[in-house]
Amino acid sequence: MISIRQLTKRYDGVAALDGFTLEVPAGELFGLVGPNGAGKTTLIRILATLARADSGEATVAGHDIASAPYLVRAATGYMPDVPGVYQDLTVEEFLAFFAEAFRLHGAKKRAAVSHALSWSGLEDRRNTYVEQLSLGWKQRLVLARTLLHEPTLLLLDEPATGLDPMARIHLREQLRSLNQQGVTVFLSSHILGDLEDICSRVAFIADGRNAVGADGSSVLTLGPTAHPDVLTCEIDVVENPETAAAALATFTGARLLDSRGNSLRAEISGGAPRAAELLHHLVSADVRVLRFDPRGGGLEDRYRNLFGGKPS
Amino acid sequence: MNPMIGKELRQRMRERRGWLLPTLYLFTLGAVVVFFYYFTTTERPSNWRGMQGFEIGTGLFFTLIYAQLSILLLLAPVFSAGAITIEKEQRTLPGLLTSLLTPLQIWWGKFFASGMFLVLLLLSSLPVLSLGFAFGGIGPGQVILATLTTLFVLATITSIGLYCSSYFRRSVHATAVTYAIIIAITAVSGIIFAILMSHWEHSQAHQAAQVAASALSRTLVPPFWVRAPLLINPYYLVTLSFGSYQDWSSDGFSCLMAFLLLFLFSFVLAVRHIRHSGEQS
Repeated sequence: MISIRQLTKRYDGVAALDGFTLEVPAGELFGLVGPNGAGKTTLIRILATLARADSGEATVAGHDIASAPYLVRAATGYMPDVPGVYQDLTVEEFLAFFAEAFRLHGAKKRAAVSHALSWSGLEDRRNTYVEQLSLGWKQRLVLARTLLHEPTLLLLDEPATGLDPMARIHLREQLRSLNQQGVTVFLSSHILGDLEDICSRVAFIADGRNAVGADGSSVLTLGPTAHPDVLTCEIDVVENPETAAAALATFTGARLLDSRGNSLRAEISGGAPRAAELLHHLVSADVRVLRFDPRGGGLEDRYRNLFGGKPS
Repeated sequence: MNPMIGKELRQRMRERRGWLLPTLYLFTLGAVVVFFYYFTTTERPSNWRGMQGFEIGTGLFFTLIYAQLSILLLLAPVFSAGAITIEKEQRTLPGLLTSLLTPLQIWWGKFFASGMFLVLLLLSSLPVLSLGFAFGGIGPGQVILATLTTLFVLATITSIGLYCSSYFRRSVHATAVTYAIIIAITAVSGIIFAILMSHWEHSQAHQAAQVAASALSRTLVPPFWVRAPLLINPYYLVTLSFGSYQDWSSDGFSCLMAFLLLFLFSFVLAVRHIRHSGEQS
């Protein structure tokens, strides 16, 4: 669905993108992660045909972004990091305008607007002026707008920024539902928990380049399909964390990462079976374990490893 | 229909200025009529010879035409200079640029909506302009000609305003530069003309001392280089539209071409800027 090869973009001599490369197959819910100024927004703006790359190639839905921007726009729905709305239009007028802007007229326009209203839950607010909507509802409205022309790809730049927890939960559900309907979603976000919850894979970007981890990959597979060999275990004990640390040290393949109060973090090689054995080993060593949470080298850990030294 | 037009007209007519400006505009023109009539018909003890009806009609008409042009030159940037910058300020431009609207459609929607408001003002003032009929000396043809010429000037100013709006990020900057351009083509061009005219007259007077008066009579009309600054002056264009055929054929066509060039130049640059504004918005 998205194919990016050596994309480069400079602003006043400073590289916002510097040879970034990525493949996103159709049907994925794909995340893009990186610190502020890493090039996420620039990349998404180039894919949405708003900005032109200085060099490199990219195709979206099979269309070259430089030579066929019109076809790219017809196939994509783009939502910027700060989506603008026309405050002095009603919800229905706003959607109707964009439906016409995507060449939908007559019955097609009415059907698209009606579907967008019901999909976003804005049916009861169709005659409400946009300025009277809360930020969460405005975000739903803009997302509904991007879907009017039934795009096969959604490009979302920080879609959860500024949303309250309920609105974020709703957004995640909407994106998951869209993805199940066959829409490819490519989104950037700083909220790692959200990405971890919904994305099948996540790409890392830093200084406009692919940020490559210790395993040599710049893409992390998430969710039930991921079977990492190295797990990070969070362990809470009732008392005597020193005993737990000593027990960890004697377990082959385990390594204590850090310890704070009665909480320890350890890395264990060998995947889930070895994690289960570690838990048994700790209990056998008379460590009173309160919580034992092995995570598959999670997004947060990977992010910390990649960008831990870089304040964003 | 271009969807931009419907959206723009809907938004503009919902603003307070949608009804406030036409009201103020007509009140101002009405005040001009009252003042003109009062000052031209009030009997003065000295030097009063009495005015014929057609003189009042013609005078009233020309006063109204220039007053109307002045007010509309002040109002035109209000509608055009913020038209695209507002999309940048409220961050709605990316939505337009990633839709299937072309930059030309965006420009045309903005131009049409800005122009329609000025057309509304022009049409609403037609009854006021027609007051001259009551006194004579003015015909419907002159009213139509004046309206069309003013419309042409306003189309050019709107195009310049849209160019500034496409170039700048903020409405305040675009509006300020548009007003600066209006001042340049009205006041500054008039001042340059006055300076050149004075220089030319001075040289003519110097020559008069040396050559016979009969030879001078052939050069009463200032040469082209003196009149040239006026070719971009809206007041000159409107004045020429009422002149004789000779006036029109000498400068009218050049004046018209100058405005047309300004219009086209601004239009091409504005569409180009809209096309590339995704880089900055």
